[in-house]
Amino acid sequence: MRRMTWLVVLRALALAGSWMAAPALSQSKVVKIGDLGSKVGVFEGYGKYQTMGMQMAVEELNAKGGVLGHKVEIVSEDDETKPAPAVRKAEKLILQDDVKLLVGAVSSGATMAVMDVTKKHKTIHWNSVSCAEFMRTTKFHKYYFSNQPDSRMQANGLAKYILDKMGKKVYIFYTDYAMGQSDGRQFKTAFEKLGGEVVGVAGAPLDTKDFSPWFGAINQSTPDVLFLAFAGTDSLRLMTQLHSFGMTKKYRLAGIDCFLLQQDLPAIAEPMEGFVQLNHFSAFNPDPNMQAFNAKFKKKYGIDANIASGAYDAVLFWAAAAEKAKTFDPDKVAEAHEGMCLENTHIGKQCIRKDDHQVVMDMHLYRVEKGRNIPIARIAGSDTIGEPMVGKDPVEGFTWEIKKK
Amino acid sequence: MDYLVGVLLPQLLHGLVFGAALGLLALGLTVIFGLLGVMNFAHGELYMLGAYAGIAVIGVTHSFWVALIAAPILVGVVAAVTEMATLRPIYRREPLYGLILTFGLALVFREGARQIWGGDMRRILPPVTGSTPLLGMTYPNYRLFLLAASSILLLALWLFFTRTRAGIVVRAAVQDAQMLDGLGVNVRRVFTLTFAASGALAALAGLLLAPIFTVYPQMGVEMILLAFIVVILGGMGSMGGSVIAAFVIGIAQSLFSLWMNPQRVAIAIFGIMILVLIVRPRGFLGREGVLE
Repeated sequence: MRRMTWLVVLRALALAGSWMAAPALSQSKVVKIGDLGSKVGVFEGYGKYQTMGMQMAVEELNAKGGVLGHKVEIVSEDDETKPAPAVRKAEKLILQDDVKLLVGAVSSGATMAVMDVTKKHKTIHWNSVSCAEFMRTTKFHKYYFSNQPDSRMQANGLAKYILDKMGKKVYIFYTDYAMGQSDGRQFKTAFEKLGGEVVGVAGAPLDTKDFSPWFGAINQSTPDVLFLAFAGTDSLRLMTQLHSFGMTKKYRLAGIDCFLLQQDLPAIAEPMEGFVQLNHFSAFNPDPNMQAFNAKFKKKYGIDANIASGAYDAVLFWAAAAEKAKTFDPDKVAEAHEGMCLENTHIGKQCIRKDDHQVVMDMHLYRVEKGRNIPIARIAGSDTIGEPMVGKDPVEGFTWEIKKK
Repeated sequence: MDYLVGVLLPQLLHGLVFGAALGLLALGLTVIFGLLGVMNFAHGELYMLGAYAGIAVIGVTHSFWVALIAAPILVGVVAAVTEMATLRPIYRREPLYGLILTFGLALVFREGARQIWGGDMRRILPPVTGSTPLLGMTYPNYRLFLLAASSILLLALWLFFTRTRAGIVVRAAVQDAQMLDGLGVNVRRVFTLTFAASGALAALAGLLLAPIFTVYPQMGVEMILLAFIVVILGGMGSMGGSVIAAFVIGIAQSLFSLWMNPQRVAIAIFGIMILVLIVRPRGFLGREGVLE
C-alpha cells in the first residue's frame, strides 16, 4: 500500500513537472488575428490563398511557442468583395473577436473601406493582395502596412519594358473600380512620361460578363499593346473572349500583378501565351527563396503558392513586431514594424519602409509560356517604389484625356 | 475599308447576335402583355430559371443539346402551373393586381434559385467552340450559332403566328379575348398554354445566352429592363414590332459602344426610347390607344 502511495505521488509530481516545463502556449492564452477577404465570387482565388498563407505562418509560430506566449488563432470572414460587408466584418473581427491583427481585404475598394475601421479602432492592418495606390498615400494611417506592390510600383516596372520591347501605342482597358482605376492612372502617367502613346482607355464594371461591346473601340484605336488591369474571374472571361475574337493574336498583351494566378494559367494557356505580367512571386521562378517557400507550401497544401500567399509574411512581420515591442499594444507594435527587415519571407529578405509602411519588393517580369509564368527580367524594388507621398495624390492633375500624337 | 471590316462589321454582328436573343426574350413578354394587359415582371426570372434548368439537365445528361430541349419544357411547366395557381384568379381584376403579383413572383423565383443553387456565378461551356475567319475578322463560332439559332426560332415563331390555326387563335386572344370566348374557344386553356410557351421561350433565351453571360440569380433583372424597352419601342403587344425593336436596340447598343463607354450606353438607349415615345407613342408597330 505504501508503495502504491509513493507511485501515485511520483506520477503526480512528474505530471506537474511536465506542465511547468511546457511552453507558455499550453496556458491557454490566445491571441486572435483576422483574415478578411473574398471567399466566394470574382476574387475567390486570392482570398483562399491569403487564408492558406496565414495558416502556414500561424502553424510555424505556434510550433515555436506562439507570439508573446500566446497561441495564435485565425478568425476568417468573407467580405463578399464589397466595401459595405467588408466594413461590417472588420468591425465584427475587431470589436467582437478582439483581433490584434487584421489581414485583408482582397479587393482594393474593400481594403480602403476597411482602413477607416482599422484607423478608428487602432488595429494593425496588413494588406497582401490589394494594389490601389491610395492605401499608402491619401488613405494611409499609422496602423496600415502592405507587402503587395501597388499600382505605382507596378506601372513603373511595366511601362519601360512595354515601351522598349512591346510597342509604343497602348490601349488601357481596366476594371472600373478602385484597383483598375488606380492601375490605369498610374500606368498612363508612367507610359506617357517615358514618351509612349496611350491611344485609348476604357473601364468595364467589376464582374462584367460580356466584354465584346468594348472590343470595337479597342480595334478602332489600333494599338500595338493592350494593357489589361483586371483580376480574378474577370481576367479569365476577358482573355477567353479576346482570344475567341482573334485579338490575342492581333495585339501584344500585358497586365498587372494580380491579373491571373498561376493556378488559372494552364486552363487558358493558349489565350495567355506571350502575355507579359509583373509579379513579385512565381512558383516557376528559380530564385532559391521562392523555391523554398513554394516547396513548403506545396508540402502542406499539395499545390503551388502564388502572390496571395504573401499574407504569410504579413503574419510573420506582425509577430516579429509584437515580440520586439513586447506587447500587443497597437501603437507600440506599429512603431516596432517601421524599418523592420525579415529574412525568411516568401521572397527572401524584405524591409518595411518607415515613411509609408510599404515593403520594398523586388519584382520580376514574366512571360506566359505554355501556361507557366517564366521570368524574363528582374526589377529592383528601390527602382519602382517611388518617393513616399503620404497624404498626397501621386498623380495629381491626372486626366484620362487621350493626347493625340 | 479596314475600319469597315475591323471595326464596324464586328460591331454590327454583335448587335445582330444580341438583338436576336433579346427578340426571343421580348417576344414572350409582348405576347403576355397582349393577353393579360400587364407587364410580366417575372419574365426575367423565367429567363434565369431556363439557364439553371439547363445546368441541372446538363449535370444529368452531359449534353447542352438535350438541355436546349428539356430546360424550356421544364420552365414551361413551371410557368403553366404559376399561371393556373396565381394569375388565373385575378384576371378579372385591375391590371395593377397582375403587376404586383408578377413582381412578387419574380422575387420568389429569384430567391428560390438562390436557395437551391446558391448565389455564385456558374458557367455553361459553349457547345460550339473555336472561331471562324469571316470577311477579314475573327468571330466566335458560338455567337454565330446563337445568331443562326435565334433567327431560325424567330422565323419559326412568325410562321406559327401567321400560318397555323393555333397561332391565329393566340393572336385573336391578344386582340380580343372576350370575342374569342364568345366564339367557343377555350380561352383559359389558350391563356395557360401561351403563358407556358412564353416562359419556355424566355428559358430558351436564358440557356442560349448562358455561355456568354454566365448564370447567376440576378441575371434576369439585368435583361428584363432591356426587354421592357424593346416591348415599349416595338409597340405594346406588337410581336413584329418587338422583333424589330430588339434588333434596333441590339445594333444601337453595339454601335454606340464605339463612341461611348458601353457602361453608359444604357443612357443612349433610354434616350431612344424617350424620343420614340414623344414622336410616336404607340411605338414602331403598336396599336393606337395603348399608350396614347
